[in-house]
Formats: sequence, structure tokens, C-alpha cells
Amino acid sequence: MNSYQGEVRRRSQNLLIVEGHHEKNKLFWLIFKCFPEININMDEIWIYGTNIYQLYNDIVKEYGAEWAEENEDIDLPFVISKKQYPDKLRYKGDFTNIVLVFDYERHDTNFSEEKILAMQRYFVDAADMGRLYINYPMIESYRHLCQLPDDDFSERKIPVSLQPGKEYKALVDQETIIGSKVDFPHRIDDLLEKRFRVSDAQKRKRCCNEILGISSVSSMENVIDNALQEVVAKSILPTAKYLLVDWVTKQGYVHTNQTYWKYIRGVFKQVIYHNISKANRIQYGQYQIPENKYKEYFERLDLTEILKVQNLVSKDSITGFIWVLNTCIYFVAEYNFRLVSD
Amino acid sequence: MLKKFTLKNYKNFKDEISIDFENTAGYQFSTDCITDGIISKMLIYGRNATGKTNLGKALMDINKTMFGGRNFYDTGIFLNADSIDKTAIFSYEFCFENNELVYRYARLSNQDLRKEELLIDGKTIFSCDFENNKFYFENLEYINAETANVDRYKQSVDSGDDEEFQVLKLPFLTWLLSNVALSNDSILIKLANYARRMLMITAGNEMLRNPRIMNDSFYELLEDSNRLKDLEDFLNEMGIKCKLILEKLPDGQKKLYFRHEKLVPFDETASSGTLALVDLYRRLIPKSWAPSLLYLDEFDAFYHYEMAEKVINFLKKRYPKCQVIMTSHNTNLMTNRLMRPDCLFILSREGTLTALCHATERELREGHNLEKMYISGEFDKYE
Repeated sequence: MNSYQGEVRRRSQNLLIVEGHHEKNKLFWLIFKCFPEININMDEIWIYGTNIYQLYNDIVKEYGAEWAEENEDIDLPFVISKKQYPDKLRYKGDFTNIVLVFDYERHDTNFSEEKILAMQRYFVDAADMGRLYINYPMIESYRHLCQLPDDDFSERKIPVSLQPGKEYKALVDQETIIGSKVDFPHRIDDLLEKRFRVSDAQKRKRCCNEILGISSVSSMENVIDNALQEVVAKSILPTAKYLLVDWVTKQGYVHTNQTYWKYIRGVFKQVIYHNISKANRIQYGQYQIPENKYKEYFERLDLTEILKVQNLVSKDSITGFIWVLNTCIYFVAEYNFRLVSD
Repeated sequence: MLKKFTLKNYKNFKDEISIDFENTAGYQFSTDCITDGIISKMLIYGRNATGKTNLGKALMDINKTMFGGRNFYDTGIFLNADSIDKTAIFSYEFCFENNELVYRYARLSNQDLRKEELLIDGKTIFSCDFENNKFYFENLEYINAETANVDRYKQSVDSGDDEEFQVLKLPFLTWLLSNVALSNDSILIKLANYARRMLMITAGNEMLRNPRIMNDSFYELLEDSNRLKDLEDFLNEMGIKCKLILEKLPDGQKKLYFRHEKLVPFDETASSGTLALVDLYRRLIPKSWAPSLLYLDEFDAFYHYEMAEKVINFLKKRYPKCQVIMTSHNTNLMTNRLMRPDCLFILSREGTLTALCHATERELREGHNLEKMYISGEFDKYE
């Protein structure tokens, strides 16, 4: 051993700050799977659960109430680690991506236009201080497309009186065309675990990955058969196999010679395009964007301006409404627009 | 201008490494780093001992090859120590007005040239294989050099079988330049003109150890009061507030002082930063010709960060056409305010040179904090 060895600095870390729910982790897991160019290993992400007002207060505690006006250099990994593991501080200088994803919770008793605007104004760069994405009314809005393409998305809004959480989720589940597609990996996992009693999570993961990597009809049966060997009991293997062949076939992507990941990548692109159009409609009043102008329009968008509009239209607790909009999937387009334009 | 430089098997560069001055990415900011579509201000970062100095020496090799100035006794390590290849390969691609010129050669050591080749617009003008005594001079008329007496050249480089008597091979290009009357607009003259004006300045080594090195001829220059004032203005502008005075000693020697209530001798008291800056001035500014290419190695090693920025801005303004390559560890300069992602490079331990915009899948924008990204490992695959 080298006696000069000191502490090694761990760089290239990633921080995902979300509000406690697993939905967000699931969505980002799928995004990183479908866009491997975004060089983030899902196992190396530090996920921190909090809500936006709690985080705001933690920032105030460290940097003072005037942090936004004084343009302090906010170090979120430091703020969070100081609270969570005071003897193992971490610093933003070791993080290549800091992403904050929160729901627009008008109903939250802590809701404050001022604070949420200050946060949106400050956190603008995932590669630096961090990037805040607020979803309207909540993360599930990325599923809120009823067909592809969905021109009605232009006017899709919900009354401010509709409780996010249960009520909005139920509405989306009813209307979505995206849900069954993006949930597919979890449905396979569930099937293996609950119906076919595969208790080993690693085995299920491997098996799922092999099945989702299929991109040709002719080899499908074989691959599924192989993937199930020594995963499910021999006696139920044929049943499991034919059920999975049926499921994969029904998803439809194998017939176009794509893997599941490639197929969902295409779906994400459409979701992103819909939400760019929608944001443009909210900020500039125009939904239709010429095919070759998406990048240009996207670069003109300002999440702070959009937040201001949302604050305005949702002000009245009876007649107010919230435009349905998902911004966290912009992460891909902001990383490199080429990922969604090729 | 130099479009591309490629090197292989020289010192720590076992595999091929290129500096591609044409590979720009179309940014609309810091446009003063680009001249006529070619990178003219380049900043190279890299961990210690990745070969930043070696790369500069290699780049300057054409100057030594064409005009001599090699130390015959410099028999130090030249080839890569892990390679089985017998020669190091240097290739320079130029663009002079509308003509493309490629000059390539292979050498075994500082002294021993093994191959040499010149191409213009894709056409081989001449090629020499000294090892196997194979020469090709068929297209000399293309550069109006058909009158060259190539047999005399061949004789001069033929060392015969006598191992004891190895002649220092004069490159054919050099021989051609001095033995054929070329017109002033000849592309070879343009090449010679460029190569002659290449300059490498390494901050601080010899000069800091012995500031007196620069004394004599430089102090003679400073006898001109305008020149002294110019030096003083330069130092002041770059951030060193001082007044200078040159005194003649009784023995006729000149000595530089800082002007205070009492005179303070410059040699003995100037700070490292001041010495480095004066050395840059001495070697660059009084020259009657503008450099074509400037390799400033660790140029700001002794500078305050603000001075480093000022020096870059000065170089941009004073030498807009000069291809300036700087190496540094000062990450404060890694900013779009001053540079741009296609002009900022990382030299890796593996011997690859990558522009920041090609070292990540992320699309780099003007607002990005490049320094922070570099430090947090955004480009770590290319470090």
C-alpha cells in the first residue's frame, strides 16, 4: 500500500431532489435508460426527499433570508448534507447534475408565490447550482396525453379546486395513453414477483432487461424462453412464456424492430414536443410550432414566466385553473436538444 | 495558417495526437478566438505530466527542421519509450490563401531525419526516404523549382556505408529554399515565412533562476525612453503598478530600477510575476515581426487571475491573426466570457486532446459555468 494515500475525491456525482414520491425516481430511471447518452448511472444518484418550502427554509438557515436578492452562491449538496450527514459534508463542486423536481402545490399551506418564484429564478442550471423543474399540477402530467399526437393538450387544464394527488392521478389514469407504455417494465417485474413468485430482485431485473431488449419478432419466443430459464419454476415456464410473448406483442414495438427502450425514447420525444408546444402556448399564446423550429422555440421558453402565468390563472380558488404542463422532462432537451431531434 | 498538426511516437505521445485548428463549433460568442474559420486562441488544460510542454516542443519542431538551431549534443529522449516504431512522425497541414500544403517528416532523433514529404493541393511535390535512399522529385515544376539540381542534393545527403561518418541530413525543403530562386509569392516562401515566425515561450524556468539572462541586449533596447515607457505602460496595464528607470553604471553597464524615494534594483527585487511578465514582454513585443504561432507554456503560472485575463485580452487585441496556444492550470480562465468550448482543450494522461464541447454529450451553452463543470468531473472521461 502506498503510504502517501489520502482521501480520494469522488466527482461526477448526481443529486436528484424530489418530494418523497417514488414516481419521480421511476420517471428519471426510465429517462436515463432511454437516453444513455446522458451519462448518469442510476445507481450513483443521491436522491433526497423534501418539499420546496422546506428546502427554501434550509437555504435561508444557511445563507440568510436575503439569499435570493443578494445572489448568494447556493451549494445544495452542502446544505442537504449538513442537515442529513453533518460529519460527511458534500459540495456541489463534486456534482455534475443537480436536479430539483417539485409539484406545483397550490393547496400546500406553505404555498408562497414569492418563495417559489425565487427558487425558480435562481435554480436555472443543472450543471451548476441546480435546475428546478416544477410540474403542473404534478409529475403525472407527463402522462396526460390521450392520444399521439394529442392536439387537445393545447387547452388541457384542471380546475384549481381539483385536489392534486388522488383526484388528478385518477383523472390521468383514466385518460392516459402513455401510462401502460411507461409502466411496462414495472408490470413485468410485478408479474414475475407476484404471479410467478420470483423473489430474487436481481434475477427479475436481469430477466426484465433481456425481455425489454428484444427487437425482433422471430427471436422473441426464444429470448423470453431463455430469460425465464432458472428464473421461474419449470412447471410454470410455458405459461409465463406465452403470457409475456402476448404482452410484448401487444405493446407493438417489436414489430417495428425496436427495443422497448428505443420505442419509449420515441414516446418521450413526443411527450417533450407536446410540452414544449404547451409551454409556448402558456408563455406566448401559440401552441403550433413549425416542425423545424422546436429547438428555437424551446430556447425562448422561460420557466419563471410560465410560473408567473400559472400563479395568475390559479389565483381564484373557485374559477381558477392550472395549465397541465410537465417541465421535468425538459431535462433531456436541455441536456442536448439533439437527443430529441434526431 | 496552420490548420492541423499531427504527431506520433514522440516523447510521451505513443499514439497519434492532433491539434485540429479547423474543428470549430459555431459559437456566437468570444468570436475573437477564431480567425478566418481557424482557432487562433487556444487554451490547453491537463493534469501534471500529461505532455503540455512536449506538445509545444513538438509543434515547434518544424521550425528547427527547416532552419536548424538544433543542439547537436541534444541526444535526449526523443522517441516514445514504450513504442516499437523507429521514428516519430510530424505532419503539418497549412492553408495559404487558397492552397493547401502538407509537410510531413519522420525522424529518429533530434539529429536524424528519416523521411520527408511535401504535398500541395493533394499532389506530392517531392518525397525523400533517406534510409532507403529513395527520392521522388517529379513535380518540382509545380512550385517553379524544376531548375533545382537535385543530384547535388542527393550527393550531399549520401553518407555511404561509412557508419562512422554520418552526415546531418539537410531537409530537402531547406535545401530547396536556399538553392532555388523562388518568387516572393511562392507557397514555399509563405511556408518559410510562417515557420520562421513560430515562437514558444515557457514561463519562468531559466529566467526566474537567473534574471540577469535578459539583461544586456534588452537593456540596450530600454535605453530608448519610449521603449522604457512602453514597458512601464505594459506592466501597469497588466496590473503591476510601478515606475521604471534605467541607470548607467560607472562601468558602462545598464541597470534597471524601480523608481521610489530611493532606487530599488529590478533584478534583485522584482516578484516572480513581474519577472515572468517582463520576460513575456522582452521576448514578444519588441520584435520587428509579428509571430505566426505562439506557444505560451504555463503562461500564467505566476500571474494573479486578473492579470492572466488581461494578458489573454492583450494577445487577442495585439495579435488577432496569430495562432496563440496557451497552457495553464488556472481554471478561472475556463469561461465563455473569455474563451469558448471549442477553444478550450483538455490533454489527457492517455495523450488525447479534446475540446470541451467534444468532451461531453451535453450541449454546452454560453451560460454554462465551464470551470465548475470541469472541476466537478463533467469531462472526466477525457482528462
